[in-house]
Amino acid sequence: MKNRLEEFRSQRGWTQQELADQVEVSRQTIISLENGRYNPSILLAFRLARLFQMPIEDLFLYSPEEENHE
Amino acid sequence: MSNYSQWVQQKLRLGWVFLAAGVIVAAAGAWIGSEFAYLPYNFRIITGLGILLAGVGFSLLVRYWHARKNGAEARRVSAAERDERMLLIRARAGNRAFWVSLGLTYTGLMWASFAANGSLPELSGDTLWFFLAGAVLVPFIVYIASIVRDQNRL
Repeated sequence: MKNRLEEFRSQRGWTQQELADQVEVSRQTIISLENGRYNPSILLAFRLARLFQMPIEDLFLYSPEEENHE
Repeated sequence: MSNYSQWVQQKLRLGWVFLAAGVIVAAAGAWIGSEFAYLPYNFRIITGLGILLAGVGFSLLVRYWHARKNGAEARRVSAAERDERMLLIRARAGNRAFWVSLGLTYTGLMWASFAANGSLPELSGDTLWFFLAGAVLVPFIVYIASIVRDQNRL
């Protein structure tokens, strides 16, 4: 699933580690999320959306076509 | 003390308990082995169990020692341990290792059944030992390889 995590993180000037610390995951998870290799759990997605103070669908871009290839 | 530091302290306490238990069991095994050498049992299995317990304790201490007085590091270690991606990778690896283990056990069971009928040679002595060692090692190797593979893919 595509997301705009890297864009919003960069806007706030946070490193991957700083973002990871705030949502209590490893830096590797943030890297994987930003690369689109890993889809977060609904809880992590909500934590990230709440941290960036935006609706979840602004952060994670759902497309049904992509779902068929996973 | 933060929740993360308490969590690290818990892990360290567990490490000390395992280490102490391991040393006691290993020493007991060595003592029993020397005192009762005339008995037809191999007491090295007790010493081996002690070494295993001590190893588990030592690895826990090594893993969490650096975070014991550093709140930020404790938080990071805690997050890494409960990291959902890592939990998923471990669960997948465990699932693959389980199926491999099941396959090997089933093969061994079938072999023993056919051997009882004389259709296959009996597994005994060294052959049986190597088969059982493989049944332990192969799933473990699959587990580790699966973790390495998924860490690169996910």
